[in-house]
Amino acid sequence: MANQSDNSIAFSAEELEFLAEDEIVEIVPNMRMEPLNLISGDFGPFRPQIAAQVPLWLAVALKKRGKCTIRPPEWMSVEKLTQVLEAERDSEKFQLLPFHYVEISRLLFDHAREDIPDIYMVRSLIEDIKDVRFHKIGTGLEIISKEVTYALRLKNLSAMEANIVRPFVTKALQTFHKLNTSEAIPESGSVPNRQHQAMNPRDKRVLKGR
Amino acid sequence: MASYYDIDDILAEEEMVPAVFLQTANEVGIFDCADDTNKVEAGTHVEMPFWLAQELYVRQAVLIKVPPYFDIKAKTRNEIGADAAHVDLRSLCPYFYNFGCKIAHLIGEKTIGPLLLIAFRTRYREVLIKAHTAASIVAPKHLTLLTKEETKLYEAGQSSTAAFKKWRMGGPRLQKASVLGRKRKPVE
Repeated sequence: MANQSDNSIAFSAEELEFLAEDEIVEIVPNMRMEPLNLISGDFGPFRPQIAAQVPLWLAVALKKRGKCTIRPPEWMSVEKLTQVLEAERDSEKFQLLPFHYVEISRLLFDHAREDIPDIYMVRSLIEDIKDVRFHKIGTGLEIISKEVTYALRLKNLSAMEANIVRPFVTKALQTFHKLNTSEAIPESGSVPNRQHQAMNPRDKRVLKGR
Repeated sequence: MASYYDIDDILAEEEMVPAVFLQTANEVGIFDCADDTNKVEAGTHVEMPFWLAQELYVRQAVLIKVPPYFDIKAKTRNEIGADAAHVDLRSLCPYFYNFGCKIAHLIGEKTIGPLLLIAFRTRYREVLIKAHTAASIVAPKHLTLLTKEETKLYEAGQSSTAAFKKWRMGGPRLQKASVLGRKRKPVE
């Protein structure tokens, strides 16, 4: 416990990828197979040219064996992504994207290259969106230093984005909290008072670009 | 946050503080080795580690003074007020914040808390930018100015960014176990 680094609070990118593989995607099989009864649910039956909903890991596994084509999710089209990118640039809020959009897109680019129309366009759009969002996170985090902050609300932040800033933000908030409380009154007997301060919901700040 | 097993907490208490003996103390000549009597007269100014000063202070054997960099009139304070980001806090005190909190708590010095807060607020922004944007090993000069607490923060941000980049670049998914590929030693 004592020597454990705080980085262990975060997931690794590979673990997040693993979690993302449970997301459902649509595939078009080219073979005939009985339904699969798995703990997470029943998938199939699989008939040639009839679309089926399966988890991403199954889709990738079938794809590797050449048993299906994957239909890219709706949000991965050029029009949708262009819209999101524009909105992302205009607004200081984070746009709504799937929680695992970074991981899903990466997996599909790796394994289902030929199933995605305009793959180069889609890829660069997603890269751009990601960069814009990361920049926003960076500028948003500056706010911690300006006011007394005890919590951050991260609306629409995706798994990967939250995970990357997690170790940093938790450490920073801890330090700020420590300094804020020690600033208050360094005399003994003030402990209950300080705890009360920390609970105050009014001090919650929303993370957003400036 | 202070934990018995926290090595940084322990090291922070190693910091030297100026103190004045209020009573004559025997058998502690190491503080003031002027003669063979092996004792310290009341009113002697000595430097001692914080963990010791703390215990003696509680027993009212010594009076703790604020270290020069926390002093209200010292130039460090002005420097921090001017541009905290470029003050070399590490060489002043590697555990600036931790130690500052401790000493402020102990002697009830009210000016230290705000100083720490101002310093960290300004420096936090620098660390934030550097940790998430700079490619690794870009800002070694900047790093030498950081205290231990800030370095940890920087490394936390840096390592998670680096881990993400590595994942995105892909590369071999499966790592070879170190046992494999080793040549078998010829049996003699």
